[in-house]
Amino acid sequence: MADLGRAALVVTLGLSLYALVVGGFAARDNRRRLADSARNALFCSFGSTIVASAVLATALVRRDFSFQYVAEHTNRSLPTQYALSAFWGGQEGSLLLWLLVLTGYATLSLISSRRLLRDLTAWVVPVFGGITTFFAFMLVAVSSPFNTQTAPFDGAGLTHSLRNPYMVAHPPMLYLGYVGLSVPFAFGVGAMLSGKTDERWIVATRRWTLAAWMFLGFGQLLGAHWAYTEVGWGGYYAWDPVENAALMPWLAATAFLHSVMIQERKGMLKVWNMVLVALAFELSVLGTFFTRSNVVNSIHSFAQSSIGGWFLAFVVISSLFSVGLILKRLPFLKAKTKLESPISREATFLYNNLLLVALCLAILWGVLFPIVTQLVKGQQQTIGRPYYDFFLRAFGLPLLLLMGIGPLIAWRKASARALLRTLAWPIATALACGGVLVAVGASSSLPGLLAYTFCAFVLATIVVELVRGTRVTGSLLTLISRNRRRYGGYIVHAAIVLLAIGVAGSSAYQTTADRPLKLGQSMTIDGYTLTNRGVYTSNSPQASKTGAILQVSGRYNGTIRTEFADYKIPPESAKNVSIKTDWKRAQDLYVIPDELHPKTQLIYIEVLVKPLVNFVWIAGIVFVLGSLVAMWPDAREQRRLVTRLVLARA
Amino acid sequence: MLAIILGLLLAAGVVVLVALPFLREPVAADDRLDAPTEAEARRLELIEERDRALAALKELEFDHRAGTIDDEDYRTLVTPLRQAAARALRSLDAETGNRRSMSELPTEPGPPPDEGTPPTPAPVPEPYPPPDEATIPSPDE
Repeated sequence: MADLGRAALVVTLGLSLYALVVGGFAARDNRRRLADSARNALFCSFGSTIVASAVLATALVRRDFSFQYVAEHTNRSLPTQYALSAFWGGQEGSLLLWLLVLTGYATLSLISSRRLLRDLTAWVVPVFGGITTFFAFMLVAVSSPFNTQTAPFDGAGLTHSLRNPYMVAHPPMLYLGYVGLSVPFAFGVGAMLSGKTDERWIVATRRWTLAAWMFLGFGQLLGAHWAYTEVGWGGYYAWDPVENAALMPWLAATAFLHSVMIQERKGMLKVWNMVLVALAFELSVLGTFFTRSNVVNSIHSFAQSSIGGWFLAFVVISSLFSVGLILKRLPFLKAKTKLESPISREATFLYNNLLLVALCLAILWGVLFPIVTQLVKGQQQTIGRPYYDFFLRAFGLPLLLLMGIGPLIAWRKASARALLRTLAWPIATALACGGVLVAVGASSSLPGLLAYTFCAFVLATIVVELVRGTRVTGSLLTLISRNRRRYGGYIVHAAIVLLAIGVAGSSAYQTTADRPLKLGQSMTIDGYTLTNRGVYTSNSPQASKTGAILQVSGRYNGTIRTEFADYKIPPESAKNVSIKTDWKRAQDLYVIPDELHPKTQLIYIEVLVKPLVNFVWIAGIVFVLGSLVAMWPDAREQRRLVTRLVLARA
Repeated sequence: MLAIILGLLLAAGVVVLVALPFLREPVAADDRLDAPTEAEARRLELIEERDRALAALKELEFDHRAGTIDDEDYRTLVTPLRQAAARALRSLDAETGNRRSMSELPTEPGPPPDEGTPPTPAPVPEPYPPPDEATIPSPDE
């Protein structure tokens, strides 16, 4: 069966090359049947990649250790769902997942746009062909999941920290996001190659872009939750280079989703949007480079791999191609109108874009800095949390403000007087909220206080918009269904507010304490009293464990355990933290073991009380809901788009 | 054996699908890509401009009724938008030779309303839902 998998990948490579080369000729020479043939080749590459994926999935489920990949990432005792998740647990399998999702997106996006963009899709096919050629080549020639060996009796097994439902879902979600950004990129490049740089390509790819952005955002939150519950350092986002690698394309895509609204309405920012869509795509490929190449230190980094150089070359070549094409097509990208006023919705979107891109580039510099110092000084210097926290506050707080101002400001031009009148209630709400927060002691952290106040402002503007709109339409449901993009966007803004509240609360207002505790001794933190009730050890075929039993009283009454585990297959040490959620107070009690001494029954533990941290996870659900509302198909819009074509051809 | 059969089926399917456009039309009367002509592209651009202008008017109207935009800003913004919409409609009519769309919108904006009374906005033609099929001229007309 490994031969079938290899053959399927070779077929994918051949088809991708055909789509690239023949598709390019067909588009250039205006040859319909040849263009259709190239498009069919791209569709077939999805089919052959499905075959290759099915071979690997079957081998994983069957634990066919004659496949090197299966032996390296599974063993006989691994539950089936984790054996399947090993598909993306290693480098080769994750590359195959990339290719599967890429060919799938290419097929579906081309099928969905064939009516509206007949003249453009001929140029999009070779772009997709180029990207799929690269990944197919990597799988065929550099990093194949179908290398075989004499089958050992058992495999090496899956890292224990990856045996977690969140880690099963996190990589596929991220890949649906990363790879999905290739759709607007391919259509944008296709638009430039064909010279048809009007807004049709944006309208046709809008939902694909939104879907990719949703998956990327939600995937990051799944990873954050995994880090919070499994890694056990007390946080959920460490500004790890691989974490940043997912955040950067998401920020670029967020900027793109906002600025395309300006292009659709005003015909402005065409060059900027092309730059953004290329930036988002290149950052998504760069993210894979960082994850797999080990050029930067990360807990996510795997063994030194062979693909880093290839990925870097692809990013450099495709970036140069994109920049060259944008410069060549500048005459087609001229703006139809210009910005009329610095106080307008267009202007707020522009400010929002600048802040998002600035934050993205600041994070990129933080990720690249160790590589640069390695090259210049011969020694890697890393950038720590304070750098990232500074820029998150510097750019994130103004972004929060703009989220509130943007929806209430008119397009084209707004007077300062009218703007202040419209914002009166939200400003009053924010100030009142700020006053209350100061009274309850939240001024201990100025960034936290500002974040909460701005969040109140944004929530108030959303409520004002919904109330006003409902008065006009008569029902909230009618309001949202008639303008899904706008009101879905407001729901997403509400999700970002919840995220900001959760992040501010759990970082700026967190309390921590670490103490040694003898048997029977207690410690108190923020209304919780923890008493050491003893240290235990246990031994099983899977693992040896040493744990502490703690009795908790006060805001939570009960017993908790926190422990060290030494797993045997594969050999690995892990911390199992204890997390108790108090939904009434919206906070978590988080206990981390530092040292546990069974002989003396002495324990060293770190205890954190994290207010509002669960808002971060709730934000993820609201984020998905808002994104789904925004991208929900609108039959009237589809009819409108088709009717335009009919009228144009009449 | 199964692997070989599946492989052969895959290869056969791929060859057929890739060659399908040529198998369906061994000789094509017109092998050019189905791209809009220059005139069609120009009309499409004008239709998009018209729809953009009318959508902007509709949104302004909605925001005014919702109270997001006050009367003074509404008066400032509505006139240029109506003029832009009128220009788009005139250009489209000139391109298509169809006078029907001109009856949908006054070419000149109405007089500004009195101070102190909320303006009664002129009826904004509803671009959506799109005109029904009966109004689209057939190729034979």
